[in-house]
Amino acid sequence: MEKGLTVRKIVIAGVLGAIAILLGVTRLGYIPVPTAAGNATIMHIPAVIGGIMEGWGVGMIIGLIFGVSSFLNATVPLFKDPLVAILPRLFIGVTAYLTYVGLKNVNQYLAIGAAGFIGALTNTVLVLGLAVIRGYMPFGVAATVAVTNGLPEAVVSVIVTLAVVAAWKKLGSSGRQKSKISGDF
Amino acid sequence: MSAEFELTRNITIGQYLPTASVVHRLDPRFKLGAFAILIVAIAICNTYVGNLFALAVCLWLFQVSKIPLHYGISGIKPAIPFIIILAIMQLLFYGEIANGGTVYFQYGIISISSESIRLVIVSAMRFVEVIFLSSVLTLSTSTTELTHGMERLLGPLEKVKFPVHAFALIITIAIRFVPTFAMEMEKMMKAQASRGADFGTGEWWRIVQRTKDMFPIIIPLFNVALSRAEDLILAMEARCYMPGASRTRYTQYKAKGIDYAALGASVVISVVMLGIPW
Repeated sequence: MEKGLTVRKIVIAGVLGAIAILLGVTRLGYIPVPTAAGNATIMHIPAVIGGIMEGWGVGMIIGLIFGVSSFLNATVPLFKDPLVAILPRLFIGVTAYLTYVGLKNVNQYLAIGAAGFIGALTNTVLVLGLAVIRGYMPFGVAATVAVTNGLPEAVVSVIVTLAVVAAWKKLGSSGRQKSKISGDF
Repeated sequence: MSAEFELTRNITIGQYLPTASVVHRLDPRFKLGAFAILIVAIAICNTYVGNLFALAVCLWLFQVSKIPLHYGISGIKPAIPFIIILAIMQLLFYGEIANGGTVYFQYGIISISSESIRLVIVSAMRFVEVIFLSSVLTLSTSTTELTHGMERLLGPLEKVKFPVHAFALIITIAIRFVPTFAMEMEKMMKAQASRGADFGTGEWWRIVQRTKDMFPIIIPLFNVALSRAEDLILAMEARCYMPGASRTRYTQYKAKGIDYAALGASVVISVVMLGIPW
């Protein structure tokens, strides 16, 4: 957290964290895919959006909230293990932020979409990697799940991230961002 | 069908059962600490008797906190199919990776060994124990107590410039906004449905269709959330909220003997659990 947390960062992290929890408890954050790991998820998207909008610190906090809530709500033994449920989720916002910053000067839309894709991929790869290491599933099954769950997750993530962030950035410049204290003037 | 729209009814977050037991009266800092120790011990423990012991401890906790056991069991019910599927997979395909132990049965890639059987039973038990433990914690502690306790527990991290207060505030905001967004979402779903959209009526194998159905809900939800965030930011800054400023507290916690006893008991239980060699 480079400059400490501003009011803006605190509130955005809290609100997007709330969405992550909500998507989990209402089951709306799940895409029903009939595979071993149960459902594909879109609950990493708040972390990706937080990372893009407010930096890696906020992305990491939202990832933590997502991880803890998925740990507490889990119906699959796999996610009742804090190492699998919480740890990998911390990095979703971080990689999304790095991707966005790296590509920002090439093309805004490309950068946002790529950040959504990489964020989703981080979730898939790290969670399944830890699942294999911790002995919940053999490597072959994990690889299949990566394709059947990870691919739809990444596609949905790109679409939602692009729609939300692009819309928000445009609104922000046209006076929707009310508070001028914490924003850059 | 109508149940699809009743989002607010299903939100059990912050569900609290005031039975005024000893567990309820524990200092939240100590309760959280003890809970964390037990969870870590359960995650590490992979012996039969150790897990049986942990299960007994969980049942005893329900008894002590005067919480009816069906609250814990209702958390396990929806998971049973998953547990069974996962158990079968682990049993059939994990034999050769979990090395050691005697192999009972082998055919092609399917191999069942004593280690894979242990893995199946232990992970199922672990799951039940964690559900029981977390239900006792959330049912006996209000969300305010939880966030306060967490803030105090993380207090020492302030020395290394970790923004503990801000972090606790983030958690509070997140929990506070869950019901609000649930209502917003309900409104949006009803608005879309009244214009002819249908949710949850597609067959389950039409994955693409069902995913597409979600977009008109998810994307406005984010936008509503972000504009609410703007309102809150404006309100907080108008009242001169300064992140990181030092402030006094409304609630003060004072540890009593029973709190230390609870923490000590959790350490002893963990040591016993991990010490059992079978």
